[in-house]
Amino acid sequence: MSSDSQASEGEVYSLNMGPQHPSMHGVLRLLLDLRGEEVIRAKPVIGYSHRAHEKMAENRNTLQFLPNTSRVDYLSGMIYNLGYCQAIEKLLGIDVPERAIYIRVIVNELNRIASHLLWFGTFLLDLGGITPFLYSFDDREEILDILDQVTGSRLTYCYGRFGGVTWDVDETFLTRATAFLARIRERLHMYKQLVTDNVILRERCTGVGVVSEALAKSYGVTGPSLRASGVAYDVRKAEPYGGYDRFDFEVPVLHEGDTMARFHIRIREIEESCKIIEQAIEAIPEGEILPKKMPKRFKLPEGEYYFAVESARGHFGMYIVGDGSDIPVKLKLRTPSFSNLSAMPETLAGTMLADTIAIVGSIDVVMPEIDR
Amino acid sequence: MGYFGNVFGGFGSLLSGMSVTLRKFSQTVIRRKAVTMQYPKELPELAPAYRSAIKLIRFEESNSHDCVACKACERICPSYCIKLSGGKVEGIKKKRVAEFEMDFALCSLCGLCLDVCPTDTLEYSKVYEEAGYNRDWRVDLLAEFRDYEEEFVAKQRVIEEKAAAEKKAKAEAAKKAKEAKKKAEADEKADNDSKEELS
Repeated sequence: MSSDSQASEGEVYSLNMGPQHPSMHGVLRLLLDLRGEEVIRAKPVIGYSHRAHEKMAENRNTLQFLPNTSRVDYLSGMIYNLGYCQAIEKLLGIDVPERAIYIRVIVNELNRIASHLLWFGTFLLDLGGITPFLYSFDDREEILDILDQVTGSRLTYCYGRFGGVTWDVDETFLTRATAFLARIRERLHMYKQLVTDNVILRERCTGVGVVSEALAKSYGVTGPSLRASGVAYDVRKAEPYGGYDRFDFEVPVLHEGDTMARFHIRIREIEESCKIIEQAIEAIPEGEILPKKMPKRFKLPEGEYYFAVESARGHFGMYIVGDGSDIPVKLKLRTPSFSNLSAMPETLAGTMLADTIAIVGSIDVVMPEIDR
Repeated sequence: MGYFGNVFGGFGSLLSGMSVTLRKFSQTVIRRKAVTMQYPKELPELAPAYRSAIKLIRFEESNSHDCVACKACERICPSYCIKLSGGKVEGIKKKRVAEFEMDFALCSLCGLCLDVCPTDTLEYSKVYEEAGYNRDWRVDLLAEFRDYEEEFVAKQRVIEEKAAAEKKAKAEAAKKAKEAKKKAEADEKADNDSKEELS
C-alpha cells in the first residue's frame, strides 16, 4: 500500500490495493484512483495465479483433465469436477446410474454450502468481525470431514468419473449429512442473531455498492450476485442438469442489488441447498455408481459443444471443441468470478474507500478461478 | 424516536449478538464441550476413502502383488509421476514388474491409475503423517515385495506347471472322450447297419 500524504483536496492519487493485502481475496490487485476518500476509478488487475488450465486441457486426454477441474476453483471444486464429468457425459451420451445422480446432487450441494460458509466467514472478517469467521469455519470443517469420508480429499476433489462417481456413500455418510442439516439450520438461526441483525453490518452494507439489473446483465454477472440484482437466473432451474429438475427448491431473488442483498441471497441459498440435500437423502436409491459398460477412451465427436452448471459463484460453462480424438482442440472455461469482477469498476466508482472492501468481498471472487 | 430509536435498536442487536458469544463461552469453557483433538497424542480416525501415495496390494494367495507391467497407469497419469519397467521372467509365463517408482511430490491423487489397472493391484496407502524434511518423495513400490519375488516365481512356476499339466490332461481326456464317442458312433452305425441287413 502506498499513499501520498501530501495530496491536497481535489488532487487524484493512486492506491494499490493488493495483491498481498490482508483483506483482498486471494491475489486480486485493485488499482484505485482516489480523490480524498472517494474512489473515482477502480481497475482490477488479474493474472497472479495463472496456471494455464485451458492450455493443459489441449495437451492431455479428456480423462487426464479430471484432476485439473477442481483446482480451477478450489472452494467449490466438487461442482467443477462433476460439472466437467456431466459435460462429457452429455456429449458422449453416457447414462449415469440413478444412485450416482443422487450422490452427485448431495455432494454438490454440501460443497455449495461449504463455499458459502467460507465466504460468510471471510466477508465478515474483512468487515472486522472475527467471531462469525470462527463459527462458520467450524461448520465448514464438518462438511469437509463429511466429504473427506467419501472422496478422500478436503478441497481438490477428484470424485467424479465419466458415468458416475468413484466411491459409494454409506449409511454413516448419509446420517452425518442429515445431522449436519439439523446443525446448520440451528447455526443459521444463530448467525441471524449474531450477524444479520447486527446494526453495524446493516449500516455498512445497506445501499452500498448497488449493481443495477441493467449493469449486471450487461457484464454477464451470474450467481448470487445476479440474483441479488433482481434476476431469477439459476442454471439449475433455467437448464436443469444432473437431475436437479427432480428437486423442489426455490431461487431466492432480491431487487436491491446492494451488498446486503448479496449477503441475504447467499444465506438463503444455504437454506435452499439444505432442502435439496434433505430430499436427495430421502430419495436415494440403491444400485450401481458407475455404468457397467464404459468405453476405454472418451473420444470427443467433431464439433463445438457448450455445457453449463451452477457453481457457488454462478454460471460455470465449458466450451469444448472436439475433432474426433480424445484430446480436445479447445476447452474454454467460462468462470463466473471473472464476469462478476468485471462489473466492479463501474460499481466501485463513486464509493468510499472503506466500502471497497465490503463491495469486492460481497461478490465472492476466487482469484484462481478468474486466472485459471 | 429516530435517533434514540436507532441507538436503542442498535444496542439491542449488539446485546443479542453478545448473548450468542456468551452461550458459546459457557458451552466450551464452563461445560467443557471442547472439540479440539490433541493431535500427536491421539490420531484421527482415517476415512475408508482416505488417499495417500499409491501402493501395490499384497494378495493373500500369492503373498505378492499382481502387477504385470502393462504400463497402463504410466500412460494415464496426468502428472507423469509413475515410472515402471518389467517384462518376461525366466521360468513363468506371467510378465512381472522389475522397477516401480512413483514420485509422490508430483502426484495429484486423482486415482486414474487405480481405475485403469487391469489386475486391480493398486490401492491407496493410509499414511497419515506425510511431512518431511527433503524434497525427494520418490517411493519404491516394490521395496516390500523384493524378498518374496523368488518365492513368488517358484510358486507361480508350480501353479503354472500344474495348470499346464491339468490342461494337458484335460485335452487328452477330451481327445480320448472324442475318440470313444467316435468309436461308439461307429459301433452304433455298424450295429444299425447290421440290424438293417438283418431286417
